[in-house]
Amino acid sequence: MKIKYIIFTVLALGFIGAGIGLKMFFKPHADINKLEAEFKVEATKLMDEFQKEENAATTKYSEKVLEISGKLVTKSKLKNGTDLLILEDDMQGVSCQLDSVWCAANQPAIQSLETGKPVIIKGICKGYLMEIKVSPAILVIK
Amino acid sequence: MLKKLFILVLLISSVGVFGQGKYIAKNAYISFYSSTPMEDILGESNEVVTILDAEKGEIIFQAIMTTFHFKRALMEEHFNENYMESSKFPKTKFKGTIEGFNKDMLKGPVANIKITGVLNVHGVDKTITVPGTLGLVDGKLVGTSKFKVTPEDFEIVIPSVVREKIGKEMEITVKADYLPFGQ
Repeated sequence: MKIKYIIFTVLALGFIGAGIGLKMFFKPHADINKLEAEFKVEATKLMDEFQKEENAATTKYSEKVLEISGKLVTKSKLKNGTDLLILEDDMQGVSCQLDSVWCAANQPAIQSLETGKPVIIKGICKGYLMEIKVSPAILVIK
Repeated sequence: MLKKLFILVLLISSVGVFGQGKYIAKNAYISFYSSTPMEDILGESNEVVTILDAEKGEIIFQAIMTTFHFKRALMEEHFNENYMESSKFPKTKFKGTIEGFNKDMLKGPVANIKITGVLNVHGVDKTITVPGTLGLVDGKLVGTSKFKVTPEDFEIVIPSVVREKIGKEMEITVKADYLPFGQ
């Protein structure tokens, strides 16, 4: 009786362990659409913070979900098909690579975007390399 | 406007590429690939910034480690947290010079080149010489390179349990479509 109990416990623990392992292994990427923005900030303010004090801004924003509002200055596609939106300044602005899954389902919204008009982007801030890198990102449609 | 100009000059000088003609790519591509018996590991970033100094033949690359994306979220997590320690070493950098550089290399068809420089990964500097190509493709300056590195070269510790499962060498692929800048 005791041996049966031990075998059952070991097997159960084994199954639970394997289940957790498999779940972790196949864990999906974060769905940016479902994540709450930790900061709501204007693109110009964000640029100012990174340009003045890169280390402090990196600590504050890196790997955080941001909702960024600003003027769309560039709308383009990378070679791999990723939609790229740049806010405020083509060289030193906020560069956002849109999430490919979100884009596939929201093509009309992307196509209707016009440069020079304000947009709101939600995405994960990656840091600063001449410009602020945000990816993956989505458009916030209000 | 003046502040922006000042910052731009500061940025460029910080990567050491003073000169008249420069080329820039803000969305260059770098991948690293390793084959394992379980599945292949491929990390890719399209957010690499590179500047090519057309006077001296100097090339600079910078990438933020967390911009490398993987098929599985777990791979991305292990890459950043366990191996690259991205919060401690957020960027990787390369600064090198094209061997035997002359300005015609920027105006002619794609040709083979060699670049020697210092690659900084995981906070460790290593001097490398890598093969590459440079030249015009459809009127645009395109640079590519493919070379191999080992994690041990950059003091990246891979636990012995998984060390055998990960290829000894990682294949690095670089592609950059340059645009004239500040000319």
